[in-house]
Amino acid sequence: MPTKDEIFEKIQVALVDALGVDEDEVTPEATLVGDLGAESIDFLDIVFRLEKSFSISIPRGELFPEDILTNAQYIKDGKLTEAGLAEVRKRMPFADLTEFSKNPAVQDFGNLLTVADMCRFVETKLQNAA
Amino acid sequence: MTRLADKKILITGGSRGIGRACVAKMAAEGGTVAFVYQSNQQAADELAAQLTAAGHDVRALQADVRDSARVHELVNQLVDQWGRLDVLVNSAGIVRDGLLGAMTPEQWADVIETNLGGTYNFCHAVVQQMMYQRAGSIVNLSSTAAEFASRGQANYAASKGAIDGLTRALAKELAPRKIRVNAVAPGMIETDMSAAVRGLAADQITKAIPLKRIGQPEEIANVVAFLASEEASYLTGQVIRVDGGISLGGY
Repeated sequence: MPTKDEIFEKIQVALVDALGVDEDEVTPEATLVGDLGAESIDFLDIVFRLEKSFSISIPRGELFPEDILTNAQYIKDGKLTEAGLAEVRKRMPFADLTEFSKNPAVQDFGNLLTVADMCRFVETKLQNAA
Repeated sequence: MTRLADKKILITGGSRGIGRACVAKMAAEGGTVAFVYQSNQQAADELAAQLTAAGHDVRALQADVRDSARVHELVNQLVDQWGRLDVLVNSAGIVRDGLLGAMTPEQWADVIETNLGGTYNFCHAVVQQMMYQRAGSIVNLSSTAAEFASRGQANYAASKGAIDGLTRALAKELAPRKIRVNAVAPGMIETDMSAAVRGLAADQITKAIPLKRIGQPEEIANVVAFLASEEASYLTGQVIRVDGGISLGGY
């Protein structure tokens, strides 16, 4: 099991390669969409790179639940419903949804996920695999 | 010409017809080629042996393109061996013609699953490696039947029309990763697949083609090789008709 620092360093490499950003931009607080400019194809790229560098398997939609965010069943007036939020919490236990839950506009979702969230996500994956 | 020198190339439906011509052409252009065949092992082995004897790097691999797990396994093994994958040509295709009112669910499903499902399976399997290497070219085999009606080919036309849509959508998705996706839409080409239709209406078809002849598989392979090469570096999301002008219409 790699240390937290080692996990962060590998994630930093994956994000620099996938997003073409500078290493010093990839801080734990940086949001993937807002600060680092990730788009949906980038999330796929990031998932591919994390799978390769950590030798883990990441089901599509686990890191970024695009299927929930585009499912009319879970959205009302551009916001996630309670049921939608519950689905996202279930899918992404590693993300802190406290702030987002106050006004869960779908278009703001991308600004939620930070590099630190991603580190927690990979840590959980590695622990489950160990 | 060796415009595909050092390129690692995977071609489906490679033992016969247009796919076979693509294998020969792309090997002759300097590419390292693996081609997929479904059932005709003898034809596949002969083609691989013949091209290997001529000094090319060609191998034959068996797979049913409808089998997603097998397709992923095959692609992963190739990527492990080659360390990269530059070109995918989706040429595997079948016809099961019949008027729609008399078409069985099996006739429908066979064609959709092989032509469209096979194309999806291989695109899905190569995308990870191509995204990783930030380079790649995918060429799908469409058909003029996607746009121009012919009786008895509702299943085939539907599969090829869907391939055109897939080509454009995937081109847009993958363009930021410098992967190009295009399709070639052949008209009437002299292959086993078109033999039945040509047998029924050869004179009529030839008359309707402005260039006044049926095309040869090599004439499609030339365009596929071009699309796969760096010469087509600014070309993506296009369906190129190679049909002797039959789609021009008019008088």
